[in-house]
Amino acid sequence: MSGIDEKEYRQICNFIFLECQLADEGRWEEWEELLAADMNYWVPINGEEADPNWDVSIINDNRSRLATRIRQLRTGTRHSQAPISVIRRMVSNIVMNEDDDGIVVVEGNFVAHEYQNQSTMMMNIWPGRVRYRLRRVKGSYEIVQKRVDLVMSTGKLPTLAFII
Amino acid sequence: MRDTTTPDIGSLIEKDTIHSSLYTDREIFELECEKIFEGNWVYVAHESELPRNGDYLRRTMGTTPILVTKTAKGIHVVVNRCTHRGNLLCPAPRGRKKAFGCQYHGWVFGPDGELVEIPFPDGSENLDKSKLGLRTARVESYRGFVFASLNHDVDDLVTYLGHARQALDRASDLSPVGEILLSKTWIQHSFKANWKMISENEADGYHVNFVHDSFAKAITPEGKYENVIKEDEEGIGSVSRYLGNGHTEIDYEVSYGAPMKWLGVKEDRYPEYTKAMKERYGEEEANTIMRKGPPHTFIFPNLFLAETCFVVIQPISVNESINWHTPLYLQGVPDKLNQRILRQGEPAMGPSAFLTADDAVIAERQWNALDGAPGWLDLSRGADREIEKDDGVLQSHYTDETSNRGFWSHYKSVFA
Ligand code: FES
Ligand SMILES: [Fe+2]
Repeated sequence: MSGIDEKEYRQICNFIFLECQLADEGRWEEWEELLAADMNYWVPINGEEADPNWDVSIINDNRSRLATRIRQLRTGTRHSQAPISVIRRMVSNIVMNEDDDGIVVVEGNFVAHEYQNQSTMMMNIWPGRVRYRLRRVKGSYEIVQKRVDLVMSTGKLPTLAFII
Repeated sequence: MRDTTTPDIGSLIEKDTIHSSLYTDREIFELECEKIFEGNWVYVAHESELPRNGDYLRRTMGTTPILVTKTAKGIHVVVNRCTHRGNLLCPAPRGRKKAFGCQYHGWVFGPDGELVEIPFPDGSENLDKSKLGLRTARVESYRGFVFASLNHDVDDLVTYLGHARQALDRASDLSPVGEILLSKTWIQHSFKANWKMISENEADGYHVNFVHDSFAKAITPEGKYENVIKEDEEGIGSVSRYLGNGHTEIDYEVSYGAPMKWLGVKEDRYPEYTKAMKERYGEEEANTIMRKGPPHTFIFPNLFLAETCFVVIQPISVNESINWHTPLYLQGVPDKLNQRILRQGEPAMGPSAFLTADDAVIAERQWNALDGAPGWLDLSRGADREIEKDDGVLQSHYTDETSNRGFWSHYKSVFA
């Protein structure tokens, strides 16, 4: 884990745990504060082979599209998240490295348990690998990219209208 | 074949009202698989997905697994189930093969369904291989759109498509070589609802201001949204149409004042494209094509040309359906233009989309409510103001249920 000491490892883990908690609880305003102006939020379906400019993605938001996504969630009439799903996610097996540009690249496994309480009233389980690209800013971090590869991305998926 | 409890489907459909059991009755679902998804034309593939001989795709017709294969003789559609003991013959979603060997006991079938080899032949000496080929479908295509029917005794495809043929032209003509292009990547969005709820919703303009209210509030409406997101109905110029044979559409043409507005870009954004289009179609026609933009047309029972997205509806059971989508790319255009098509369609369609995520949840709530509280449903909106055009197409206000009444009149005729 070049360029990252124990203390920073802890700090970055805490940053990620906070990001997950804010997303789980639908605290979108606070969540949005963690994002870089050039943020990319990407949920591809073809794993390592995915070409974001040719293969359709489940989500591929630049910062402005992500802002639209959050504005829509906040209207209160985004039916697929009104009420918001009840969600708790775990992140583990976290490894991190610093790349040549000083960006911290973090990877881990996660699983989100979603109680879909809008229509099907089912427990949806969303396991996958999450990757962040973080930029160091003023003693903390901002998210330059969040990439989520769902285990079942190439199969059928129920509605996924919350922030994964 | 069926006993006297077979539902009398005709009695459940009137001109402007239908009974909710059409969405929730398991027996009706089985009848639909037989009469609609096996008994008549169903969209199965596009020729751009099978560029070389030997290419194949694993698909479904209703709940029946099929393979779409390409050989020097053309495109074949065969049931993907071994005729020996019923094993799924080919589990891969796509690939290239000269023959399909069953993994259970090794029977080998050709891409046209012929049983070509049985291993350890001595014990099977008396088997008539010619009777044990895979079940085949009749196959026809139009502008590269491949349709199949397991009932060989149906009208030809062009007759079946009728006025909906123009939608396939409208999509294909946007390419300067006259062909659309599908990539290998599809997203599958599962709806816990009946397939007809998706099919009808595709050309239902009435719901847009309500189901998609949150999207309207989150964006500055431009282009077609500016035309249809309104406080009052008079301001909406887009129209709803019934094209015949169950095919329906919404036309946003009036909201596109200039070429390329459908893609949200200036007319001169892709000069190479504009030049190629004018060379192929001539100045005036090219401008018309580029102004009208892509269709928003549903082709009964499972194809939806959703402007920049290409959608196929797969029924799984009476209360589960999969909405498959991929970008509607164009052949012979700059990569940047196709990228723009991708970026435009991505947020509209799929499990996380600004639009279909909400359609899915509404359909699921509707299905649950109907299953719990059956009854008659109203479809009368606009029946008094729709007009029949010279060609027989019914047209009405964007928010009228002309499209859905047409859908059901065709559906009823299938079971008559
Ligand atoms: S089931 Fe296919 S060979 Fe026996
Ligand atoms: Fe919709």
